[in-house]
Amino acid sequence: MRLLKTHILTGLLFLCLSSFGQMTVSGRITDEKTGEPVAKASVLIKGTSSGTSSDEQGNYKIEVPQKNATLIFSSVGFESKEIPVSGPVLDVQLGQAATRGLQEVLVVGFGTQIKRDLTGNIAKVKGRDIENMPVTNFDQALQGRAAGVFVQAGNGKLGEPVQVLIRGAGSISASTQPLYVIDGVPISTETYSGSAIADINFNDIESFDILKDASAAAIYGSRAANGVVLITTKKGRAGKTTFNVNSQYGTNKPTHKVGFLNAREYVDLLREAAINSDHIDGIDPLDPSQYEDSWLEFAEGRLTRYSGWSDWKTYQTNTNWQDKAFYPHARTGQIDVSASGGNEKTKFYVSLGYMNQDGILIGNNLKRISSRLNLEHSVSDKFKLGINMSLSQTTSGRVTADNEFNTPLQSVALSPVTPFTDQNGVIYTNPTTTYANPYVDYAEGKYEALIYRNIGNIFGQYNFSKSLFFRSEFGVDIHNENDDMFYGARTSYGRGTNGYGESDWFRSLTYNTNNYFTFNKSFQGRHDLNAVLGMSYQEYNSEYANVYGEQFPVDDLQKLASAGLIKGGTSVATNSAFLSYFARANYKLDDKYLFSVSGRIDGSSVFGNDRRYGFFPAVSAGWVISQEKFLENSKVISFLKLRASWGLTGNAEGFGNFASRGLWGGTAYDGTGALTPTQMANPDLRWEKSNQTDIGIDFGLLNNRITGEVDYYNRNTDDLIYNVPVPGNTGFTNKIVNIGAMNNRGVEIVLNSENIISRNFRWSSSVNLAFNKNKIVRLDGDQTLIPGNDGRYMNSLIVGQSIGIFYGPKFAGADPANGDALYYLADGKTTTNDYDAAGSFIVGNPNPKLTGGFSNTFSAYGFDLGILFQGVFGNQITNGAGGFMSASFSWFDNQTSDQLNRWQKPGDKTMVPQLRLGYDNGTSSSSRYVYDGDYVRLKNITLGYNFPKSLIGKWRLKSLRLYVTGVNVLTFTDYPGWDPEVNADYRATNKNQGGDFYSAPQIKNYSVGLNIGF
Amino acid sequence: MKNIFIIAISVLLLSACGKKLNINPQQSVDENIVFTSDANIKSALRGAYDVVSGASLVGGDLQMYSELLGANGEITWAGTYQQPREIFRKTMLTTNSFLRDTYTDAYKAINICNNIIESIDIVNEGDRDHVKGQALFLRGLMYFELVKLFALPYSAGNTSSNPGLQLITVPTKNGEVSDANKKPRSSVEETYQQIINDLTTAKSLMEDQIGVYAGKYTAAAVLSRVYLQMADYQKAAQEANDVIENSGASLESDCRKAFNNSSPSSEDIYVMPVTPQDGSNDMWLFWSIGDYGARDGDVEVDQKQIDLFASGDQRLGWFYIDESDIYRSAKWQFQYRYLPVIRLAEMYLTRAECNARLGTSIGATADEDLNDVIRARAGLGAVSATVDNIIYERRLELVDEGQKIHDIRRLKQSVDGFQYNDNKLVCPIPQREVDAGNGILTQNPGYNP
Repeated sequence: MRLLKTHILTGLLFLCLSSFGQMTVSGRITDEKTGEPVAKASVLIKGTSSGTSSDEQGNYKIEVPQKNATLIFSSVGFESKEIPVSGPVLDVQLGQAATRGLQEVLVVGFGTQIKRDLTGNIAKVKGRDIENMPVTNFDQALQGRAAGVFVQAGNGKLGEPVQVLIRGAGSISASTQPLYVIDGVPISTETYSGSAIADINFNDIESFDILKDASAAAIYGSRAANGVVLITTKKGRAGKTTFNVNSQYGTNKPTHKVGFLNAREYVDLLREAAINSDHIDGIDPLDPSQYEDSWLEFAEGRLTRYSGWSDWKTYQTNTNWQDKAFYPHARTGQIDVSASGGNEKTKFYVSLGYMNQDGILIGNNLKRISSRLNLEHSVSDKFKLGINMSLSQTTSGRVTADNEFNTPLQSVALSPVTPFTDQNGVIYTNPTTTYANPYVDYAEGKYEALIYRNIGNIFGQYNFSKSLFFRSEFGVDIHNENDDMFYGARTSYGRGTNGYGESDWFRSLTYNTNNYFTFNKSFQGRHDLNAVLGMSYQEYNSEYANVYGEQFPVDDLQKLASAGLIKGGTSVATNSAFLSYFARANYKLDDKYLFSVSGRIDGSSVFGNDRRYGFFPAVSAGWVISQEKFLENSKVISFLKLRASWGLTGNAEGFGNFASRGLWGGTAYDGTGALTPTQMANPDLRWEKSNQTDIGIDFGLLNNRITGEVDYYNRNTDDLIYNVPVPGNTGFTNKIVNIGAMNNRGVEIVLNSENIISRNFRWSSSVNLAFNKNKIVRLDGDQTLIPGNDGRYMNSLIVGQSIGIFYGPKFAGADPANGDALYYLADGKTTTNDYDAAGSFIVGNPNPKLTGGFSNTFSAYGFDLGILFQGVFGNQITNGAGGFMSASFSWFDNQTSDQLNRWQKPGDKTMVPQLRLGYDNGTSSSSRYVYDGDYVRLKNITLGYNFPKSLIGKWRLKSLRLYVTGVNVLTFTDYPGWDPEVNADYRATNKNQGGDFYSAPQIKNYSVGLNIGF
Repeated sequence: MKNIFIIAISVLLLSACGKKLNINPQQSVDENIVFTSDANIKSALRGAYDVVSGASLVGGDLQMYSELLGANGEITWAGTYQQPREIFRKTMLTTNSFLRDTYTDAYKAINICNNIIESIDIVNEGDRDHVKGQALFLRGLMYFELVKLFALPYSAGNTSSNPGLQLITVPTKNGEVSDANKKPRSSVEETYQQIINDLTTAKSLMEDQIGVYAGKYTAAAVLSRVYLQMADYQKAAQEANDVIENSGASLESDCRKAFNNSSPSSEDIYVMPVTPQDGSNDMWLFWSIGDYGARDGDVEVDQKQIDLFASGDQRLGWFYIDESDIYRSAKWQFQYRYLPVIRLAEMYLTRAECNARLGTSIGATADEDLNDVIRARAGLGAVSATVDNIIYERRLELVDEGQKIHDIRRLKQSVDGFQYNDNKLVCPIPQREVDAGNGILTQNPGYNP
């Protein structure tokens, strides 16, 4: 391993170097208004990451490498100050901040920058804004908090992947998810099941810095086309060790339930449907002589079967199968303990967290034990080293994908006339139930995933001089997962085979090294230069193995050791590697003209030899207009900056590691090994490239009481990678090629306002809005349409339209004359009852036009109240299960209550065609099952009380806070399904958006918590 | 001094390892490697068998489509899947995903065969003919299965103008969609000629072998089906006779032993291997019930089918009644059982029918085949060996085995109110193929282009 050697050698080199002169600076930090000491204020040596913090009396002491150093003093609620060191004593007075973060330090790739000097676009979300939110994934907690960051959980299952789109979807089939980097380590989001994000305890996170435009992100080159989320974990500060304990407890409920027919309605409508079908066949089933072999006889036979021991004719049983899918006693609990502190040489942060959540669905839960150690030690004023390490164990009870018969919510298909149990208390399943009863799979089966995750890095940093340092980081992300499944002899998976057991084992290892120089210098008081030069290398390896078996002697023996028949097993492995060189220079003239240029060369193992390397440059500039003479004294405009950026980023993720090759894979025939083609070759395959221009204004008004940002961006992605359909007569169905182009354009607006700042009452508001328009500019050659109507969904690719737009028949309701489902012909006016003859139209768009968040925080007399609304507007949803659950009784599935409005007699005008058992009267995908998906949600509301210091001081506590919090408390929407935040997990891709298929609603949580500091 | 270190570090840094980017897949091999050795090509041949034995093809769906199209009130699709229901009701949509998979998987097998045939010189000389013959056999079989479903039947006449299939005989390589893939549909006649060429050449090249792999008599058995579709009774009888006399297959003494076996039965001419490890059987999946690990009994056998059988017919053992008093086909009752595709019994019935039609006695008389062989095994007495009686017997013997619609169409019968040549009995060319076909591939009549 050449790189490891490099690393060790570099380390040795540092040790040989001698140290330079240094001095100690100390002083006291006070509030300029009140004169009170400011405790825990941060003191940072400019241009480095070394610093300290003040103690309870506001005193600080810091070793400064040389004279002429500048110290940055900052603290929450104060404006930070930069003061050059002039002697050993430096007292500082900080003014109360109205600035809302213009001096905020942002983490950029391989460095930091203050917001004021930024020429790109970075959204920062502080860890404390989302801490203690009772969700499993930090990406869910970010929802509604940053402009242009669209977060959508596909359903309400716990710990499942969440879609995060920064400035729209930039790809048709490569990844659209941002790169997540934790303390310099790009983490892997690959798992065998669930979400790799759920392993991370976000109460350990100090900040999220979301790099949105190309100039901010281009330093991550080919990884950055979808934005980068830089995650910084909490670090210790010099001073007395502080402890923090947080504990909370709550309940989980579904946000909404859907109305289905009750037993009486089910029986009546089913019989009606059967009679209608008989009439079509020319039979009158109510005439006893024609009853035999009629649809009615068939339906009543089924009713008798479905009603088990009870009598359907008297509606004896009325089971609410939907309620059976939900766990009525879902609880959540969490406890976090952390300690941080240290001295000037050594600082630490340690934490231990435990979370236990029940999902709203039966069988769905997640427990996480996590720990973290962040340690930093200065060997000398030249050399610093440290470690950031987290270790977690996640245990998760999983439920199967939305399209599986045993996913809990598919229980809604069962008939309400079916009793839950037989007379001996045994839970009914088919043939008594219409389909296998998912509850049996839950009661007599399990799916448990156990994941050990270790993310961390070690680093060394050597300061050659005040202006030049070298940093080397070596990070790992180890994911070790074991999924254990068992389904008993009565379950849908285990029937006929006396049970089914499976053990899956997955391990992934990402290791990564970053090595870079940073140069920082001010010249003649007016030139500031910051430059970075370095390289990084990353290797990913994953291995997967499983074994599965059948014929278990009893349901109690669930490990494969007891399987009478080991049915199969496999092991697979895959690798990929990235090699990158990068450079960046930021230049600031007179504190008002800002320039930045960066470039990165990336090599990826994913592409063929000739297409392996890509170059990704970016440039940007900013002008702090408020520094100019004509604005310097403005009473209204306190800050104004104009900035513009352009950059090129790439995408090489999400389409397999060997997509350019023609491949044959192993299979078997009659127990002997065989080869079949698995992939069509494309030696020309190359990077997807994203060109992004961003123009923005940052402003502050009225002494920065009001601040904001407005950005316009235009992002063009070229060479889109897509699995293009090819004629099946080639022996293949698809080929991975670079086709066409896509555009995302939009405006983002962020407004922050300190509405009231008084001694006892503070009220601040923040609004973020993002308008995005996604458009496919070009497909393969002169192709303008890749239709996607598969009978359930209609997500298509059409030039000039947004990705995944719904393109298919337009439903015209029931024919008033005969109840036939009608569709519009291509002319858009005349109707037909022949689905195949119907024209295709754009009948919906799954991409929201506008997303946003609106938060308010109030604090008064120790109370604090935070309210976050989040909204999504202008998108549509297709209910892919409409053809089963809202299908005019085409089969025996229970129907949604809206089917009561069916066509019954000539002249009826309704959107529900005549009920016809066994006939598909309008059940194929069409606008019949497309609904508006707009919603506004009271995403989070938290009310807290901080006990007064006078009281808790007696208990030797530093802080004590009691709070109640709610998530997804209220949802305002017209969507008739379970929840408008939805995309069925089994089919979710960049194109396949806005689909609902028995997908669980989101979780509504109420919790109470207690936070103690001492 | 300091600068030297910086330079040293920089050099070390930047001299990192570009070679680390050369990574090969571990579950697949590059296509250039496959056709370089005898052993690899034989592996590819088994791959072609594997694709053909897949659920979407001979692993059950082809048989099921035939039975659903030819249901005629004898069976009912009672399952929730819309795709088979469309086939059952003759309301197939061009987006039917079952039909799409059948179509594309057949061409997948054909492409493997084309690759093998092109590289046949690399195969050891001693095995070369047999390998090539098998590739030709599988290609011919796939074209035959496709043309029966996706084109008007041969019996509908106009064979030189009715569209058949796109006949592809060159392999796809280097990811290229070549001109060979952009040809229009050949006529039904040309398609049948291609099938006959492939199968007769295959028959002449292959060794003597039946069962899970094809040999001389497997090709003969398929040829007998082909000629029967073309109403060429002379040749159909000859091929059937060749199988009966020379394949070495013999009827099981008990008709029930012809099914639910864990290895080929003695009467299997061509059979799909299905074990817990390997193979698929959609006939079991859709026709059997949850108690036997299948779905919910999506295909129900109706009284009308049972009533076809005389009491005392041993073949009533091919049915059972489930807990809900619904008849089920016992031919497909159990999981992990071999799936017979062509049985010797069919050859007797084909020979009998042809002999009866032609007034010949190729191999044996129609009476002997019908009464002494087939009916005797079923425990039934003799009947007159008329064409009608033989066809009726064929319906009983081959019940629920996937020959139904093809017999109905060649015999110019009607089914569920549809004439044998009705456009609605012809499966639509999958929409994705029409879309990907650049306007060259035309849709079948009766469907929107």
